[in-house]
Amino acid sequence: MNAPGEVLGIAVLSLKIALVATVIACLLGIPLGFYLGWTRFRGRRVLLALLNTALALPTVVIGLLVYLLLARRGPLGALGLLYTWQAIVVAEVVLALPIATALSAAAIQAVDPRVRRTALTLGAGALRTAWTVAREARFALLAGVVVAFGRVLSEVGAALMVGGNVRHETRTLTTAITLATSQGEFGLAVALGLILLALALTVSVLIQLLQGHGDI
Amino acid sequence: MATFEAGSLRQEFGGRTVLSLDALGVREGARLAVVGPNGAGKSTLLRLLAFVDVPAAGTITLEGRRIDTAAARKAARRRVTLVDQRPYLFRGTVLGNVAYGLRSRGVNATEAGERAAAALARLKLRELAGRDARALSEGEIQRVAVARALAVEPVALLLDEPVSGADRAAHHALFEALAAEQARRPLTIVFASHLLEDAYRWADDLLALHQGRASPVTPENLFRVDLPGGSSMQMVTVGPLALQVVTDRQGPATLAIPPEEIVVSTEALHSSARNVLKGRVVRVAEHGAAMRVTIDAGIELVALITRRSFQEMGLTVGGAAFASFKSVAVRVF
Repeated sequence: MNAPGEVLGIAVLSLKIALVATVIACLLGIPLGFYLGWTRFRGRRVLLALLNTALALPTVVIGLLVYLLLARRGPLGALGLLYTWQAIVVAEVVLALPIATALSAAAIQAVDPRVRRTALTLGAGALRTAWTVAREARFALLAGVVVAFGRVLSEVGAALMVGGNVRHETRTLTTAITLATSQGEFGLAVALGLILLALALTVSVLIQLLQGHGDI
Repeated sequence: MATFEAGSLRQEFGGRTVLSLDALGVREGARLAVVGPNGAGKSTLLRLLAFVDVPAAGTITLEGRRIDTAAARKAARRRVTLVDQRPYLFRGTVLGNVAYGLRSRGVNATEAGERAAAALARLKLRELAGRDARALSEGEIQRVAVARALAVEPVALLLDEPVSGADRAAHHALFEALAAEQARRPLTIVFASHLLEDAYRWADDLLALHQGRASPVTPENLFRVDLPGGSSMQMVTVGPLALQVVTDRQGPATLAIPPEEIVVSTEALHSSARNVLKGRVVRVAEHGAAMRVTIDAGIELVALITRRSFQEMGLTVGGAAFASFKSVAVRVF
């Protein structure tokens, strides 16, 4: 694992998994969170409570659930996804979905109620009104995306269980750190950890730049 | 044709009736002021006329068409705009905000931009077009919100306390711009205000609300009192004064002295009026053919007199004057 090429491959795979999982989780979670934050219906509070509980779901439990789902004899065993990078994506989506949903719901709920009324009084239809509300909440929504991405990038338990830490295939930065640590290669573990931090920092700075631009 | 007509209109919040109007008619091109203290139902009425809220009971028509379905309300919202008491400007530029309503109506970006710029120019805000909407002063926000509402050329413009917080010059500029807009095209304006002077100065019709109902008197010369009871002719303490009123009621009540019932004179009158108060003229405002004279006699009283009487008496601000009214002219609520 010492070859720089291999480390680069691990970093790229980690980034790929985190990006794909974050995109899928946000594509599902943001509209869902918007709906929860926007509309009032019976059972909404129960749903929000369940969602907040899901935020605290241990990653090993998620790993176990996805493992059982994708295992050869599991309901989705025929897909043959276990121990592939796609399996890790599935687990990370399950992890990130409640985050994206809950933070989006909170972001929409925090929007000034005048936004909706103003859009309506200016003749906006339902879709445009919803879009306007989302636009006003865009930085809070973006913050949710960053949190989800960070959580997915740094996750290890589920990635190990459903990815298997297979060299060149499912080894991510976090699983590689676990392995290096168990093998006593602390220098390598620290180096990989620094790469992980650098990745997280880069994404965070990019988002901040985006926010700064929007505020001008 | 009437822009708005409402019948048996009622609105409730949490089971409590907050507005109850038997009838309301606002003719095309009118400038109606809705006046009343906080909680009188002014904003509630405006939100109903803006078709943002649905009334608990009653009907509203817009230009003769009854608006009673969600689809009709949606269509009506494109013909009426409401400017909130504390308007909200969306993130982005002032021009983007003013173009919002036009973009919502499917107008392309170029044309919407041009029409928005024209609306800003009409309100003398052209130089703000490129500014960040979040970096404006309170008065600027208010005027940009009015420009945004006017850009879509609505048949009716509803303004909730359009002049609260802004300075007097800004008030004047705003109402001048609205008058210019009305001269340019047919436009009905309904504005809520707690400033009666503005209402009298700019409106050609007035609806006074008190606790959600149309009040027979304007909300001036209203005084909260504690009626001593005991006899029908009572001596009531109002501020530093004692007024004579005729009522059988006892306990907390509101006294209303209609401005047209107050006789203004330069000398004390010997007449049937039981209440004769000496004071000074503190404000004078034109009100059509009449004059509204505010006299500070320990409490401020507004009297409505003819322009001719005003001139003949030679009343001036700061000059002494007497306000007289009969005890039976004082209404008790």
